[in-house]
Amino acid sequence: MEGVDLKLFLLVGAVLFVCGVICMTSKRNGIGVLIGVELVLNAANLNFVAFSRYTPLGLDGQIMALFVIVLAAAEAAVALAIALNFYNNHLTIDVDRADELRG
Amino acid sequence: MTFEVLLNQVIGETLTVSICRFGPELIVSATILVLLLNRLFGIDRWVAPYWTTLIGCMIALGYATNQYLLLQQGTLPAGEYFTGLMMFDGFTVFLRIFLLLFLILVTVLTVLSGIPDLEDGPDFYTLLLGSTIGMMIMSGANHLLMLFIGIEMTSVPSYAMVGFLKGRRQSSEAALKYVVYGAGAAGVMLYGISLIAGMLGTGDMPLIAERIGQLTGTASNFESPLVRTLMLAIVMVFVGLSFKLSLVPFHFWCPDAFEGASAEVAGYLSVASKAAAFGLLIRFCLALTGTIEGAASSPIYLFLGLAIGFVAMVTATFGNLAAYAQTNVKRLLAYSTIAHAGYMLMAVAAMMVLLNAPSGAGLTSFERQELAAKSIEGLLFYLVVYLFMNLGAFAIVALIRNEIYSEEISDYKGLARQTPVLCVCMVICLVSLIGIPPMAGFFGKLFVFASVFQSAKVHWAMWVVFLVGAINTVFSLYYYLQVLKTMFLDERPEGARTIDIPLNPSGWYVIFVTAPLLLLILCTEQLTQTARTVAAGLFL
Repeated sequence: MEGVDLKLFLLVGAVLFVCGVICMTSKRNGIGVLIGVELVLNAANLNFVAFSRYTPLGLDGQIMALFVIVLAAAEAAVALAIALNFYNNHLTIDVDRADELRG
Repeated sequence: MTFEVLLNQVIGETLTVSICRFGPELIVSATILVLLLNRLFGIDRWVAPYWTTLIGCMIALGYATNQYLLLQQGTLPAGEYFTGLMMFDGFTVFLRIFLLLFLILVTVLTVLSGIPDLEDGPDFYTLLLGSTIGMMIMSGANHLLMLFIGIEMTSVPSYAMVGFLKGRRQSSEAALKYVVYGAGAAGVMLYGISLIAGMLGTGDMPLIAERIGQLTGTASNFESPLVRTLMLAIVMVFVGLSFKLSLVPFHFWCPDAFEGASAEVAGYLSVASKAAAFGLLIRFCLALTGTIEGAASSPIYLFLGLAIGFVAMVTATFGNLAAYAQTNVKRLLAYSTIAHAGYMLMAVAAMMVLLNAPSGAGLTSFERQELAAKSIEGLLFYLVVYLFMNLGAFAIVALIRNEIYSEEISDYKGLARQTPVLCVCMVICLVSLIGIPPMAGFFGKLFVFASVFQSAKVHWAMWVVFLVGAINTVFSLYYYLQVLKTMFLDERPEGARTIDIPLNPSGWYVIFVTAPLLLLILCTEQLTQTARTVAAGLFL
């Protein structure tokens, strides 16, 4: 890890974040959108861990990352159940087809 | 310090200090366990799940009320607990009591309207209680991690509750939209939190203001890249909070989720999650500016306050204008919820502007804090009133739905002749939502606008917010009265389903919920007094 500084980690985190946001906004498949969300959460996690190594944030950062992993898992479970329920009712998980409620 | 000493210290603090301050949350958690165990052993066939829920909530409410009394006497001092992760003060306890009271009212409503049947009861009440715990954590969060955990604990059960009616196409669509937007907003917020925590080297909210001061030093304008990054991170956190508050431009989910969900769930989300999110927003804003006597006012936060004011203005206007074209009552109430979030946000904007008044405004730091506390007081009053008027309106929609199987406004024609009690209560709720005296809603608006008026003396832009808020009240007249006109003046069409809700428990429930809107005028003084002590406690 010699010679690798905080900036590089933050750069990777930022790239992941942007990829995640693009994925969230451009995918039509419901699962694809959820994958985008996971990318964003992991970008934040990478930041936390990098900050805990290089800044006074210390162990707090790693603890936060652990909690986020658990919460992301819980969120993914509920989101997938909802996607499955949507599929059962609409026979598709294309989010653009979710257009019956409008006004 | 060895590990053993550290461990003993943490255990000691947890057992003596933290557990009793965290009591209401623990009691609600225990209720969830009891609900699930009852189901496991088949006890829920004899003891209906709602009884377990109600009893658990009542105990928690009693505990929280006791905490409030002890806090006033000074026997249970305010302070941080769980090694600084959570905050225990009047504000926390006030919101806890508010949320638990609301939870009891919603549970009674679900019993009367029968939305979760006996089979689904344990699931539904588990989700309801779980999200309430999240909201209570939100109202007491003292650390950026708890802020995120609170929001997620609130959101995840809410997604499931919106999609609770599994077979309905609309319900599943609403849940999908809610979960996709919600997860996205939470992700963006978490990235913002990671930047703030990393740059400041701490997640402790009381330390944030001080650390920001150290970090930016004298560079208190947008030239410095540090300040710009920090502002970006703060805006990202605000994205997550605005989503929970359904502020423009993060409001898309709100009408869809409300239309797809059952009226009970919509009523629950419209009041409880808003109240908790406002509590969190106030805590976060105060963490940014710092509450210590003589905290420096900063032009950056003044700007932030004005930005919040702008969002509030746009939200209120958008909510009111979009409500015009609605044909579905729940959708109309959803847009009305958005508009009311806008009004309440005006109080937060006023707080930020007053707290960061430039030295030219001629306010001492003490006066600034006093005026800021006054805005929070107005907001708390508004929240209490809002609980009754919104719950009343959604309860009436739910009860009418059970009779005529419709939530379209056009199907409400001439209902007043068949069910006068519900319709008169609807009048009280909607008139209170408009804010016409002597309904309680008028006083809520009055207090909020009074604090905006105060802040207008600090910065001229708040005059615009004030005027737009006032004009919005007039806008909102039309669509609320449209509903009332349909109910009272139109003829009931031939062959329409008849409705008959005499003074049975449902009728009494609605009367019980709407009565405070008329009676609050008698005890305005007590309520403002309570809100004042609670708000002042934030600045100690």
